[in-house]
Amino acid sequence: MRVLEYVLRRGIFSLVTIFLAITGNFFLFRVLPGDAVSNLAKVPHSTPELQHALMVRFGLDKSKWDQYLIYLKNLLHGDLGVSFTYQESVSHLLLDDLENTVVLAGVGTLGAIFIGILSGVMSAWRRSSPLDHLNTGVATLVYSFPAQWLGLVLLILFAGVLPAGGMSDQFLFDSPPFWQHAADVGGHLVLPAATMILTAYGGYTLVVRSSVLETLGEDYVLTARAKGIPARRVVWRHAVRNALLPIVTMVALDLGYVVGGAVLVEVIFSWPGLGMATFTAIGQRDYPMIQGAFLILTVSVILLNFVADLVCFRLDRRVSA
Amino acid sequence: MRKALAALAAVLLACSGLSACARAGSQTADGDIYRLGSDQAIDSMNPFVSVVTTAFAVYEQIYPTLVQLDPEGRFVAEFASTWTTSEDGRTWTFRTHPGATWSDGKPLTAADAAWTLNTIAAFKDGPTAGLANYVSDLDEASTPDPNTLVLRYSRPVANVLNRLMSVPILPEHVWREYAGGDGEALTTFPNNAPVVSGGPFVLVRHVPKQVALFKRNPAYYGPKPHIAGFGIQFFSSDDAMITALKSRQLDAVRTVPSTSVANLESAGFEVISSPGLRFESITVNANPKQRPEHRELADPLLRQAFDHTINRAQIVETSLLGHGRPGASIIPPGTANWADRSLQPTPFDLGAANRLLDQAGYRRGPDGTRIANGHPMDYPVILPEDTYGGAGLRSFQIIRSDFAKIGVRLTAKLLDNAAANEAVMANESQDFAMTMWGWSGGTGDPDDTLNYLTCQSWGILNDTGYCSEEWDDLYARQGAAMTPAERHGIVDEMQRLAARERVLLVIAYPDSIEAHSREWVDLPQVGGNSFSSESKIPLLSVRRAG
Repeated sequence: MRVLEYVLRRGIFSLVTIFLAITGNFFLFRVLPGDAVSNLAKVPHSTPELQHALMVRFGLDKSKWDQYLIYLKNLLHGDLGVSFTYQESVSHLLLDDLENTVVLAGVGTLGAIFIGILSGVMSAWRRSSPLDHLNTGVATLVYSFPAQWLGLVLLILFAGVLPAGGMSDQFLFDSPPFWQHAADVGGHLVLPAATMILTAYGGYTLVVRSSVLETLGEDYVLTARAKGIPARRVVWRHAVRNALLPIVTMVALDLGYVVGGAVLVEVIFSWPGLGMATFTAIGQRDYPMIQGAFLILTVSVILLNFVADLVCFRLDRRVSA
Repeated sequence: MRKALAALAAVLLACSGLSACARAGSQTADGDIYRLGSDQAIDSMNPFVSVVTTAFAVYEQIYPTLVQLDPEGRFVAEFASTWTTSEDGRTWTFRTHPGATWSDGKPLTAADAAWTLNTIAAFKDGPTAGLANYVSDLDEASTPDPNTLVLRYSRPVANVLNRLMSVPILPEHVWREYAGGDGEALTTFPNNAPVVSGGPFVLVRHVPKQVALFKRNPAYYGPKPHIAGFGIQFFSSDDAMITALKSRQLDAVRTVPSTSVANLESAGFEVISSPGLRFESITVNANPKQRPEHRELADPLLRQAFDHTINRAQIVETSLLGHGRPGASIIPPGTANWADRSLQPTPFDLGAANRLLDQAGYRRGPDGTRIANGHPMDYPVILPEDTYGGAGLRSFQIIRSDFAKIGVRLTAKLLDNAAANEAVMANESQDFAMTMWGWSGGTGDPDDTLNYLTCQSWGILNDTGYCSEEWDDLYARQGAAMTPAERHGIVDEMQRLAARERVLLVIAYPDSIEAHSREWVDLPQVGGNSFSSESKIPLLSVRRAG
């Protein structure tokens, strides 16, 4: 019963947060100076008639309140609207972007988690050794690099060896066989994913190290060692397993920011994802695109936080709302 | 699902290093494919929706135009082979290419051109307003026979050819169904690939923000391109685009930052710097109704002093790394032969600037900053992202440092383009003090640039707050001057007037810089571009060396 109550409470809280975020997203960009019409109407011999026609076409001639109500009504029907810039359905445009971002952010985050756990455990097990110092030193250093700077460095370092931009070889007129396409995407994925991994794995390393160190001093670990259980088994089965809670919490919370966190990396590597779409839409004051992109970002953050809450609750029943 | 599986497999293959095998060449069974990189994506394949140059350069390749520009900046035949003008300058008659067809086999005649122009004119206050400029004063387009187009204007129009050069002729049989009622459907037709083409190339694939691929159009009425096709890959960062060129993933890049020129040259690429179509300027608010805090900016002496404070030579050398030239006229040197060569850049002379400010009565305060109307001469300068994103910020730093020497403080106010528009136009341009922006004009005609300073452009493109009867009168006269000599005389007079009034303090003309692999030859520039929105000639003639 307590579980159901917890889930319900967190669920309602998440829904309210989503509604507030939707409202915030709607008004936030409308109070920014500049609008899509003045951008689009900035052509030679532009006329007030063109500006008016664009206002009417985009529904901007209506009051903000009316626009908001129309937006909510459309949203309830699953309609994210039509992009001002592309004059196409926002959901259609953003769906591909979202998929592309999930590919990049997924690989980047999972890679960072994997390397972070591995290096954190190694550091904890070899505490105070040169390996530990090197490991934590590098992790701390790389963790502090801004993603855009590191991305540019990788771009320059691997110029000519790895593809520099885009998601696949763009100049293939005929669809290549599946494996060739996959290999092509893989090649394009290396640099942006490496940037995400390098800028994120350090955090995991440090948390995992400290968490595992704590458990390594526990009685049950010492008992296991005294029983003659092989070191590797002691670490992975006894120490790491019990050090999981803070790691899982961090991973779950980080997952919520995965989609949004890819923005800079996507812009640097021209990766056609949600981040690049948001970046472009903000510059163009393309409200439907911005609202759509932010809605996806918001929902993914809230949803993944909700999942994180549930996972933490499952792992440790002491957790309460 | 396929994407997800591909992604998973991609990760595995990326880890195993197999990805290098997948790099494609630039050749197909039909011949060579020319690969371009662009930092500007196509916003829409619908000409009634699109506003970006790249999209119009694409329309140039897939749609006929009546005329086009040649590399010397002259209007030459395209779909129209000849044209004549009536004595009163109000009727233009074009003979179009006989026997032409669209890529779907339907006849391509003068009727398609007439339909396109009449449709734009019919909905010019609404759905087609973005192209309305090209048909202003057009009463009617008619076709006495399938190969003759007659355009009747309500008054003589000097730049008819320039206007028509930019109008993509659309296939009536495809678009007609969207032109009913209020014409709003014209803006919602996505015109996705495969587009019915009448130009030398057919769009076969367009992935928004990623790529557009084109194949040779066998039905094209003009000369056959040497290349089998071309593609444009879109980049959101210049660094990735230049790296892709150096890595041979591209054959050419349209817009090269001046900072990459030396690097590309040393890597063996051909870098072409052409006189640009853009000028950068400090805009001093000349609006007589501006706020009291900076009403002195309307003083011509002050603007003259400011003009003397701009070290154009240093800006060209330091900011543009030599890839540009000091500015004088508002018509950039890339606009065919319209720039008035007699206008020289205002000399950099801090002594003269100080004397002018002293003469105007702006004394220095205790901290060295001059006082005007009781307040220090301390002005925010709006820098839109167009400017601060490139060499502009370096230029601004030079300018700010020199302005400090004449007792005028400038502060950068960085805004994105939309916010900068709003800030400059707010309250009918009464609120802002100064901006530093760049303006681009047309390749073959100065009309667009001259239009920026008309009273009619207030609140839309005229960001100077300038409005004068003299200017508007000259503007109207040049638009109706039917002999080149007469029109040149008026346009020169307008350039001198703009220089005298000093509302736009023209800083410099950045060069238009392109780079391409030396494996390609015969790639002429039209208005500084090989991928032109005004000419099919460059992509018709480019071919692989040897």
